[in-house]
Amino acid sequence: MENLVIKEVNDAPYYPMVKFDAESGSCEISGESYMEETFKFYSPLLEWIKLYLEEKEKPLTLNFKLTYFNTNSSRLILDMLDILKKNKDKGKKIIVNWYYDPADPDMIDEVEDFELETGLDINLIELVK
Amino acid sequence: MFKEDYNGENLLSFSGPLTVSLVSFMANYLKSMLNADYVQVKRIFRIFIELTQNISYYSAEILRVEDGVNSGVGWFMVNESDNCFTITTGNLIYNSDGIKLRKNCDEINLLDEKQLRELKRKTRGQAMIRDVGAHIGLIQTSILSKSKLNYRINQLNNEHSFFVISVNIDK
Repeated sequence: MENLVIKEVNDAPYYPMVKFDAESGSCEISGESYMEETFKFYSPLLEWIKLYLEEKEKPLTLNFKLTYFNTNSSRLILDMLDILKKNKDKGKKIIVNWYYDPADPDMIDEVEDFELETGLDINLIELVK
Repeated sequence: MFKEDYNGENLLSFSGPLTVSLVSFMANYLKSMLNADYVQVKRIFRIFIELTQNISYYSAEILRVEDGVNSGVGWFMVNESDNCFTITTGNLIYNSDGIKLRKNCDEINLLDEKQLRELKRKTRGQAMIRDVGAHIGLIQTSILSKSKLNYRINQLNNEHSFFVISVNIDK
C-alpha cells in the first residue's frame, strides 16, 4: 500500500494538503477545502482509509489542521469520520485530532457538531502559532 | 434588490460566472482589505464563499468558462456601513426551485442558533455525498452571520425567477 500525498498548490488554495502515511498510519489534512468537485477530491482519501483499515493491523491517527472547509467538504469529512467510527467500534485503534485556533470559536462548534453526528471522540488540540 | 443593500460603502462587487478560482481570489482579497476583528473577518470569508458557491453550483444561468467546465452565473456585492458588513448575492433560479428555496429560508429564519445547528446536522446527515444542496449553505450562512436571511424571489417568466439574498454581519 502506498502513501497518499497531495501537495499544496499556491494558486489553488481551495485544495487542502494531504499526507497519509501507509507505514505509520499517521494521516494529516491541512489548509482550506472549498474546491468545486468535492467528491472527486475526497473519494481517493476515503478509499485509502478503507484499504488501510482492511489491510493493516496498525493504529490510524487522523490529524485535521483545516482552517476552513465549506459545507460541501463537510459532508465528505463526515463520511470519513463515519468510516473511522465504524472501524473503531469493531476494535480498530483510531485516534482523531483536530488542531484548532483558539481565537476561532466557529471551528470549535464545527468539531462539536461532527462529534455529535458521528459519536466519535475528536481530540481538540490548540494550534501553536 | 433591497434598498438596504445600498447602505454604506461598496467594498467589492462582481457580476458574471463564479468559478472557484474567482471566488477564492475575491474571498482572499476581501480578507486582506477588511478593517474588522479576527472572528468577523473569518465569518465574512466563510459566508462569502458559501453564498457565492451556491451561485456556482445552483444558478439556472450557466456559462461554459473552460473546456468542459461550466460555472453558475450571478452577482454579489459586499458593503460596509457604520454598524455592519452586508453580503448580497443574486442569481437566476427555476420557478420550481423557488418554492423549496422560500420554504428553506423561512424555516431557517424561525430558528435560533442551537436549532440551526441541529438542522445543519440533520440536513448534512441526509444529504447526498456528491451534492449536499443549497440548503445547508444557507443554514451555515445564518449560523455564522448570527442574523436572519433577507431574501426575495421575483418571478420573471413561466420558467425563471431571480433570487436575491442578503445577510448582515454586525460589527
